[in-house]
Amino acid sequence: MKKRFLLLIFTVSAFCLSSKAQDTIKTTGDAPLVISGSVDTYFKTDFSGHANIPTSFANENSSISIGMIDLALKKSVGKASFVGELSFGPRGQQQSIPNADPGSVNVVTPIGENTYAGSGVGYSSYHIQNLYVSYNITDQFNLTAGYMSTFIGYEVISPASNFNYSTSYLFTNGPFQNAGFKATYTFSPAVSLMAGIFNDYWNVYQSAGKVNTFGAQLTVTPVKNWTAYLNVVTGSSYGTEFDLTTAYQITTAFKLGLNAATFSATNGVTGGFSGVALYPQVAVSKAVTLGLRGEYFMTKSGTFFDAGPAPGESVTGITFTANIKAGPLTFIPEIRFDNSSKSDLFTDGGGAFTTSASQFLLAAVYAF
Amino acid sequence: MKTILVALIFVLFAKISFAQQSLLSFDEHNKYIYYQVAEAPGLPQDTLHVRGLSFLKTYYPKSKLKPSTEGKIISGENKFLVYGGISVLKHEKGEIAYEFNIEFKDQKYRFWLTNFVFTPYQRDRYGNFVAQQGIDIPLETALTKLDKKDVDGYLDETGAFCKQFGDRLKQFIISAPKKEETIKKVVTDKW
Repeated sequence: MKKRFLLLIFTVSAFCLSSKAQDTIKTTGDAPLVISGSVDTYFKTDFSGHANIPTSFANENSSISIGMIDLALKKSVGKASFVGELSFGPRGQQQSIPNADPGSVNVVTPIGENTYAGSGVGYSSYHIQNLYVSYNITDQFNLTAGYMSTFIGYEVISPASNFNYSTSYLFTNGPFQNAGFKATYTFSPAVSLMAGIFNDYWNVYQSAGKVNTFGAQLTVTPVKNWTAYLNVVTGSSYGTEFDLTTAYQITTAFKLGLNAATFSATNGVTGGFSGVALYPQVAVSKAVTLGLRGEYFMTKSGTFFDAGPAPGESVTGITFTANIKAGPLTFIPEIRFDNSSKSDLFTDGGGAFTTSASQFLLAAVYAF
Repeated sequence: MKTILVALIFVLFAKISFAQQSLLSFDEHNKYIYYQVAEAPGLPQDTLHVRGLSFLKTYYPKSKLKPSTEGKIISGENKFLVYGGISVLKHEKGEIAYEFNIEFKDQKYRFWLTNFVFTPYQRDRYGNFVAQQGIDIPLETALTKLDKKDVDGYLDETGAFCKQFGDRLKQFIISAPKKEETIKKVVTDKW
């Protein structure tokens, strides 16, 4: 028995010493494979009793619903790296990911002696949020190619990266992803420029035959803790969007964000949209941050229809959100009031058109 | 006997877990500091200074050195990453910026690392972890902004980093500089 105890002591000592060695900070060698992601769930109720506000995600009404499981892999070896990010669930599939079927599915159904060919509905077989490779030519110059989250706009698909759980009209109607090739040059810690070529249409894995979209982003840091991104994406197939996204961490507790954009359609379609959204946030304690999103969104006159007001009309939205953190888990209570210029966007409890809509939601996001 | 052996096991675990954080002390300004004085027998100040610069260039090439006209002190700043998560889910949680100073005299030198400031990382839209701008938390006041478990972890990693810095510096200082091997060449036009 004594020998067993002594053996246990030696084993534990060896373990402790080896753990201590492994605690040594590695400052050389390649970064490890990084696995990160999030899981989210929510409950939302619109005060009309049915779904009303047409922005992305959180669309299921009076239901304890799921967002998505998001899994991202990243690995860097020397100057090369890759990121592969998959998502599963309503938010990460049909609500944000293109249907990977190349087109309608032909279904041939024999009925009696005759056969009938029809179109079936394809299903989302890919769930790619990001899939790209990257190479640092130098410390200042980087090349990246693949399918990437868009560089346009303030909000993103991942709930772990947004402060508000519901999304803005600017986000919903802008690009989600762009497939392409881009080069980024960092002139200084305060200025960098990205330019790239992208597939003809937004939010699709494969082009419709052309790589004819140009995109660029100028990043500037005018003063410490304030970053501004001036973005443009333009192509003859889809249209042109100019976008300003900026955030200023004025104090450790107070942050102010702004997003402004204007889009003009092309390719035989007239009109587009424009809007501006303000995002003040204040950390009232270690665990609680309160935020507000105020948005004005307008659909331009023309033949372009978006997820929002009719052409020539506008909508304003005020959203109050809290982030309550408990380690990696964030609880997000949110209340939102939208008001349209014309009563054809929302309906009330009786189904009649109205100019206002309001909803309450409670979400939980676990990020790892 | 059994009780003594079991107690010894627990003490070993506790000793290791507290080891890294205890490497840090507080200076007269109540800032965390890692401070050491080392002997370098037979090495004059100039040689130590040259080796100090070479050490930084070799192991910490991204250090930003502060200009100095004196040959007896090297000052600068740098940063290192801290990781969080469990097992395969480890990723960058943030970075800790620090200031370093290495001061030389004949046959001895001292060095200290201080002014540790933590900046948390968050994942951006491309799946990369990047620094959250404007959130700079001195480790001395980190408990007011972060969970204790996280702060203890960051202090442990800071202690481990400082120890590694010091051990490398000591080893580098006392190692003789490698002589450049001259390649023998044959001159064929003179014979």
